Amino acid sequence: MLQETIGQERQIQYQNLLNLVGDQRQDTDEDKPLLKASQMRSIINSHRMMQAYREGSRVAYVSEQFPSEIAFAFDMIPWNLESMAIMLAQSVDVDRVFKLTQEHQLSRDICSFLRGPYGMMMENCYPTPDFVLTNTQPCEGLSKVGLISGKGYKAPVLALHAPNSIDEDSLSYLVKQMEHMMSRMEEDLGIEVGPDSLKSVVEYSNQAREYYNKTVQLLRSNSLPDVSRELQEIFGMNYFGVKENARICKVLYEEAMQLAGKETSKRKRVLWIGQVPEESHEILQHMREVVDIVYWAPLWDANMMMLDEKDPLKSIAERAILYHWDAERTKVETSQICEDHEIDGFLIANVWGCRNVMGISQVLRDIANSKKLKHLTISIDLVDRNNYAFNQVKNRVDAFLELLQ
Amino acid sequence: MITAGIDIGSLSTKCALMDEDQKVIGFDVVLTGGNNKAATEEVYKKALANAKLKRSDVGYVVTTGYGRENIPFADKHVSEITCHALGMHITNPEIRTILEIGGQDSKAIRVNEDGHVDNFHMNDKCAAGCGRFLEVTARAMGVELGELGGISEKSENTVKISSTCTVFAETEIVSLVAVGTAIPDIVKGVHNSIATRATSLLRAVGLSGPLGMSGGVALNSGVVKSVEEALGKEVYIVENPQVRGAIGAASIGQRLV
Repeated sequence: MLQETIGQERQIQYQNLLNLVGDQRQDTDEDKPLLKASQMRSIINSHRMMQAYREGSRVAYVSEQFPSEIAFAFDMIPWNLESMAIMLAQSVDVDRVFKLTQEHQLSRDICSFLRGPYGMMMENCYPTPDFVLTNTQPCEGLSKVGLISGKGYKAPVLALHAPNSIDEDSLSYLVKQMEHMMSRMEEDLGIEVGPDSLKSVVEYSNQAREYYNKTVQLLRSNSLPDVSRELQEIFGMNYFGVKENARICKVLYEEAMQLAGKETSKRKRVLWIGQVPEESHEILQHMREVVDIVYWAPLWDANMMMLDEKDPLKSIAERAILYHWDAERTKVETSQICEDHEIDGFLIANVWGCRNVMGISQVLRDIANSKKLKHLTISIDLVDRNNYAFNQVKNRVDAFLELLQ
Repeated sequence: MITAGIDIGSLSTKCALMDEDQKVIGFDVVLTGGNNKAATEEVYKKALANAKLKRSDVGYVVTTGYGRENIPFADKHVSEITCHALGMHITNPEIRTILEIGGQDSKAIRVNEDGHVDNFHMNDKCAAGCGRFLEVTARAMGVELGELGGISEKSENTVKISSTCTVFAETEIVSLVAVGTAIPDIVKGVHNSIATRATSLLRAVGLSGPLGMSGGVALNSGVVKSVEEALGKEVYIVENPQVRGAIGAASIGQRLV
């Protein structure tokens, strides 16, 4: 499609987005100052979104845990389909989107993190992509939404298939896919991305990881709930590979250093497993009154992995495999998280229709039982409020919190 | 000091009054209706009248149930899971697993020797398997809720009823009634359906030790029998099962004052 046409389309799409999600729910009634790192991320996110709607910008729809370094090496703005669903969740007009998906016979039993982006594309709110870049795990459903969006926008869809085991064969299989992906992008864009582009992106990615890892270390022995939340946001944004993200991670680490040791009261720590609601969500607010919430996903080993600057694709491949929810690896990794972070209980949030969390839940409950930790599995919907009633969930959460005390 | 426990449920509101010896000195039950504050006032007054007490005689009030946070005169509110566990433990400390089926949810609770909750599991997504399910199905069959237990004993050729969704089950029952299926066979099918859900909850929480049942549905002998048949295990029905949450709440009050 001609760039000029894309630019015109994106102007309309931007207006549609503002019309749809411009009216956001009250952010939070908690009167607390935001971390500097959180403020920076908010600004960078807004800037990134604005850029994505501009004529001439290169936009790639990406799925969760897609190696964003590849997109950044092509100077592309990664548009994370799933994370955008959380922005939708804060909109007062969220029902409009889900009503539209139902009118198109999309079952309400499908996870709202997939239905939400699908509905926003139907509302023509997302910027027309140049590419759709997906990976098949941990959510192959999202990969399928990527395929549908590529068809809808007539954009090339390039998908990575990550095997489960880590060995030379599987690494080379994945490296070849990434090489093919990159050469196809070069061909379509009519540009050549030299090794230097990927090298500088990987350097930024590693700079960010270095601070990210040091912050995770601080989280182990200190009560830093806001820092834990910010790590979750950084993980969800998946902006590893650009200078701004390295700065956010550095600032967060510096703030965590200042805050470490200040909080003396030792509250119980609950590991939040599964999809995470917006920060102002009533369940989180309710739980925060009693316990510290530590988020599971940002603590995965894959997030800590530094990339090999001499052979980046191989280490990106290894990280992609590590992101797989292999039952045995998950067991070892989560057990270690429990010990490192002195976890007292698990809250497993199973979003309706998410078979991935449902599938791994039993492994996680087994870990909790083996460690004699209290656990609660709640079925909720963090985006489509028609599928959820706070009082029903709160009743379970209250009993769980009473159990922990 | 006398304490009051008030359990504000979706169908009924219960109040129990307790003295320092952990003895229940008065209780009552009213329908919640559309105004849980009014129901709470009513049941509190009735329980006080039953015990020949005045409001000022009560030193501490603990509320539980879905409406627990809406009562301005409450000193503390606690989830009904904790309250049912304690309410059962007071009279039956040997019980280790509790099945509590209330109006809009059902729970399996595992308790330790001190009456504290070890683990619990609750129904999800639909009220199938709860009191409301019985209410809807009884209406579809044209029988009184209180008669269900006796009717189910007459079943000779029990039918299978969906245990997934109340509305699906209602549709199924209407169809069965329309083709002339014997009401006792349908009622027994409904009870078996509830038992199916209940046994899943109990096994999920880990069924161990003697099993007790509380909540209003425990008054339905047909459901109790179906649960016993499904588990191959005796179910102990505590006295006044529907008031156990309120008794547990009053007991928490005694521990706090």
